Amino acid sequence: MKIPMRYKSNHKGVPRTNPAAPDRSDQAREVDVALSRNERMLKQIFSNSSDILFRSVTISGQTRLLLVYVDGLVNADMLDQVVLQPMMFEGLPGDAENGGSGSIGDLLIKRLVAVAQVKPAQQIGDIVESVLKGDLAMLIDGETQALLVGLQGYEKRAIEEPSAELSVRGPRDGFTEALRTNTSLIRRRIRSEKLKMESLTLGQYSKTEIVIAYLEGIASESVLKEVRQRLHRIEIDGVLESGYIEEFIEDVPWSPFPQIQNTERPDVVCSSLLEGKIAIFVDNTPFVLIAPMTFWAGLQAVEDYYERFIYTSFIRLIRFALLNISLLLPSLFVSLTTFHQQLVPTNLLISVAAAREGVPLPTVIETLLMEFMFEGLREAGIRLPKPIGSAVSIVGALVIGQAAVQAGIVSASVVIIVATTGIASFAIPRYNLGTAFRLLRFPMLILAGTLGLYGVIAGIFLIVIHLLGLRSFGIPYMTPISPQFPENIKDVWIRAPRWSMHQRPVLSTGSNKHRVPEGQQPGPKRGEKNE
Amino acid sequence: MTSLRKSGLILFAIVPLLLTAGCWDSSEVNDLALELAWGIDAAKDQGVMVSAQVIVPFRIGSAQGSAGGGGGGSQEKPYFVVAGIGKDTLDAVQQMQTKLSRQMFRAHRRVIVIGEALARRGLKEVLDTYSRDPTLKLRSDVFIMKGGTANEFLKVAYPLEDIPGLAALKEYNQIGALKEMGLINLMISATSDGNCPALPVIAIGFESDKQEEDQDGSARMKGFRINGTSIFDNDLKLLGYIDTREGRLLRWVKGELGKLIVTADIPQDKGRISFDMNKLNSKVQPIFQGDNIKFHVTLSGQGMIRENNSNLDLTQTHNLAFIKELLEKQVEASVQQTIRKVQREFGSDVFEFGETIHRKHHSRWNSLKDDWNQEFRKAEVTVKANLSIRRIGVTGPSLHLKEDSIQK
Repeated sequence: MKIPMRYKSNHKGVPRTNPAAPDRSDQAREVDVALSRNERMLKQIFSNSSDILFRSVTISGQTRLLLVYVDGLVNADMLDQVVLQPMMFEGLPGDAENGGSGSIGDLLIKRLVAVAQVKPAQQIGDIVESVLKGDLAMLIDGETQALLVGLQGYEKRAIEEPSAELSVRGPRDGFTEALRTNTSLIRRRIRSEKLKMESLTLGQYSKTEIVIAYLEGIASESVLKEVRQRLHRIEIDGVLESGYIEEFIEDVPWSPFPQIQNTERPDVVCSSLLEGKIAIFVDNTPFVLIAPMTFWAGLQAVEDYYERFIYTSFIRLIRFALLNISLLLPSLFVSLTTFHQQLVPTNLLISVAAAREGVPLPTVIETLLMEFMFEGLREAGIRLPKPIGSAVSIVGALVIGQAAVQAGIVSASVVIIVATTGIASFAIPRYNLGTAFRLLRFPMLILAGTLGLYGVIAGIFLIVIHLLGLRSFGIPYMTPISPQFPENIKDVWIRAPRWSMHQRPVLSTGSNKHRVPEGQQPGPKRGEKNE
Repeated sequence: MTSLRKSGLILFAIVPLLLTAGCWDSSEVNDLALELAWGIDAAKDQGVMVSAQVIVPFRIGSAQGSAGGGGGGSQEKPYFVVAGIGKDTLDAVQQMQTKLSRQMFRAHRRVIVIGEALARRGLKEVLDTYSRDPTLKLRSDVFIMKGGTANEFLKVAYPLEDIPGLAALKEYNQIGALKEMGLINLMISATSDGNCPALPVIAIGFESDKQEEDQDGSARMKGFRINGTSIFDNDLKLLGYIDTREGRLLRWVKGELGKLIVTADIPQDKGRISFDMNKLNSKVQPIFQGDNIKFHVTLSGQGMIRENNSNLDLTQTHNLAFIKELLEKQVEASVQQTIRKVQREFGSDVFEFGETIHRKHHSRWNSLKDDWNQEFRKAEVTVKANLSIRRIGVTGPSLHLKEDSIQK
């Protein structure tokens, strides 16, 4: 089946240049021969910056050097041991003093500075940029080229277990805020030259490094092209989290459903790469974006692929049931008990009626209020410092759960409904998909309270129509159910055993669709004698 | 811009929907008077009296909530009965509503009880509303109240159930009735030419009629029992009753019985034996002999011997064959007797024999149907029972018998 790729232009009109963009007229200049002039210029550029240090060194009593770096971004130990000590104690190698061939800069690169990453720079602008990145700039008197030494050594968090995506079985490492640590975690898992990582910088001030990672030959070329295009179009002052980028590159910004997946887990990124998806790393955040996202990806937990498939399939079915509950239970309850009492089993209706006796508010308002309070509790639980968080949950459980029911302000059945719905909404593995359903629950409730089941059905229709029309980077959101790809349905409702999933997801992959060769189902082989 | 206009249009389409439909059709469950059992009685001037057993939800709730702690205070019933009298049912309902603070909600009705007086007058004039009103269930079960009014029945408490109306339903299920759909079956048999409705009968009191009635004048009567089956004619008028045992056999012939225990006497006073059947079937074959119509009823049943008060050793096959024959004869005789009784006393085809001819010999039925009741009275019926004893329990002879007294 051929699905036409449809991309929505997500930029309206030509982006204008930001009038507040930093002035770069100084930085286009080249490095001057006179060190003092360079120094003056750099000091002017870095004026009022107490964290930028200038250090003058004289080697062998004649060659003056100026070191420029950001305090805290450069590894101070390395700076001492690898750069300063050899230069100050040993001086230049002998043949340089005899006026040997080549510049001092070349000599330094070749003989003296024992650091892996050293590159020359002629532009003042380049020097400024590198220094801000954490490199050490080395300006040499009498030469028009400076050296940029990669001595980055800032404080970073250790690799820890991701807190947002837990699993019982599976690797325990999670991404950190350091981009290169993150990409290395991927490299360690996919040791193939086909794993490509394209870099770009975004943010006029933040100059955040972004890496687009994909597997060449597996990722679909057209999706990749679209990702590149959308990323390059972004003009923003700073990128502090991958969410900044997500909002610029998603297809339908007004949809409640997330169209780009995010994860803290390197194994999730790797499996997505192997499925032909594209990962977008953003420096300074542990959350990596994965595009394109399908609806079903939001319902797949990492562990689905690590645990045995029978149990996993069972859990998936439960998850689908809970998904429906999280969206529909309150609205069904409201519409059934206020419009269609004849549809409720008699004994249940009597219980509900008994619980409602003396409750002052209409069921819709009551349910809306309780849902509102539940969201409040949840929000308070997340934002508050941990020691206070438990206090909130106690107050919530006691005040709302018990006191309100006993006082006859809220009926017990509504509390049960709201609590069940809350639990169900937490069973959705991807947090951002869960929020979509949590949000949609409120309009559904209002529809149920005004139109009854008719409203609920109308709401479901609107949501389904929206989902069917939604695309993520040109891939229909509901793939492989609509459009249907029978081979890929093995990983939707259930999780088929790995040896039976022969193909990669069709739409997001390029030419290389084959994943697992057939005939690998374990079991006694015919014709083989089992001794 | 277009998307803005589109969303404006959608909003324009949805907002009137919210205003026109819904909202005021909604009603909270605590603004409804839930009624689970319904009674219809005859009133003066061809009028109708309707009664409803309305649930008091919070009494049920509190009985469950503070179980055990509810010792003090009077144990109030979780239901009460209201009645209304009118020219027809709806007129009566309107009058009844004046006594209720909440809107009558009838969609959960499970039981309809018809007083004997009204049943004898005929059901035709009161049935229409039960099939016309979309909020009513056609699956409500219909009972005939023997020797009283439905209103009396609804006032009687039942020890096991909170809501006594439902108890009638459950009692009836316990006798092994299958395929019971009450109202809808009543409608079906009322429209057919051949058969006449037979409805279950309920009577107040656990013991036989009028024993515990009026002990100290107040309504101290507790409980009720299924007490046979009522036989109606084609005009839906009550003709009379057959007892519960006969009612079961009637259902067996119609193929609507789920379980039955048959007890047979063993000749020469050698004790009795009980056979518990749970797979019951029947087959009715009409046979035409000139102008005479004969029906051959074949009944089959499978089951287990659960009581053996004789000295027979049931592990012996000849003993089993003997018992089987005995049981079959017993069944044949009692079914034959029941059919004859109905033929003679009521002449109303509650066995659906006419329907069998209608199905199998359609052309003959056209000439028979106008005078079917007379033909039914005349028809000769033979009954053949095929019982199979599948299990005999865990012992052959009774354990308490001495070895030498066991008949091998």
